[in-house]
Amino acid sequence: MNCNKAMVLMSAAIDGELTAKESEELTGHLDDCPECRSEFQDAKNTKIIIRERIVRVRAPKNLVESIVKMTSVIS
Amino acid sequence: MKEKKKVLSAQEELKQREFQQEAVTHINALYNYALHLTMNPDDAEDLVQETYLKAYKFFDSFERGTNCKAWLFKILKNNYINKFRKNAREPGKVDYDLIKDFYHTIKDVQSDTTEAESDFFHSLLHEEVYQALLSLPEEFREVIQLCDMEGFTYEEIANMVESPIGTVRSRLYRGRKLLRAKLEEYARKHGYNTEIDE
Repeated sequence: MNCNKAMVLMSAAIDGELTAKESEELTGHLDDCPECRSEFQDAKNTKIIIRERIVRVRAPKNLVESIVKMTSVIS
Repeated sequence: MKEKKKVLSAQEELKQREFQQEAVTHINALYNYALHLTMNPDDAEDLVQETYLKAYKFFDSFERGTNCKAWLFKILKNNYINKFRKNAREPGKVDYDLIKDFYHTIKDVQSDTTEAESDFFHSLLHEEVYQALLSLPEEFREVIQLCDMEGFTYEEIANMVESPIGTVRSRLYRGRKLLRAKLEEYARKHGYNTEIDE
């Protein structure tokens, strides 16, 4: 496997979406390629950053109340 | 007759309870998704409301045991398309101040306790990460949001965006590549060296 193919697989690897065969191929490549190992670490960090740094807001209280109310009166 | 009415009402009550537990519990995630799609709090509220109204109406068709959050997201996305795309109606004015408000008024950010802390990413501000995400073309931004923020599987995302799994996979790869370049740009502004510079 070359580095370009490894890069494509890394993205899916961090999501746990590789087939067993792909996973094996990628692991084999990472064992031999320090550049890709470093790239793989950075790719993992990017995912962590998105998950942790994007602020979530709470739904407004009035919206929550209206939905609870709405689903309580429909029949 | 009275007996029949009582049974129906009990069924309805059960449905309501189940709906509260299964569906209403995802309201914050849905609201955030709606906000990201419309960038307008009023439109986001309307979308979420319509989504729940529809979801409740068709709750019987929800396949028990599957991911209810994914089902709700799909309904919301369809509503969004119907409302803003098919009718060629633009969402309300994009509220850019809203983005700033996220980061100045909302304090319930998760604690940063990961390995990512040790490198240049740690220098990035929440607002910068969000701006970087917003700067991506929609097809990339959307899959990244659904995957990284909401934790959906590729199969669930493929169903939501109505594209093959391979397309989702490739969009995630390309979107993340673009996003990393953006983030590294911000990191350089903070005086960090990144691999791109080397």
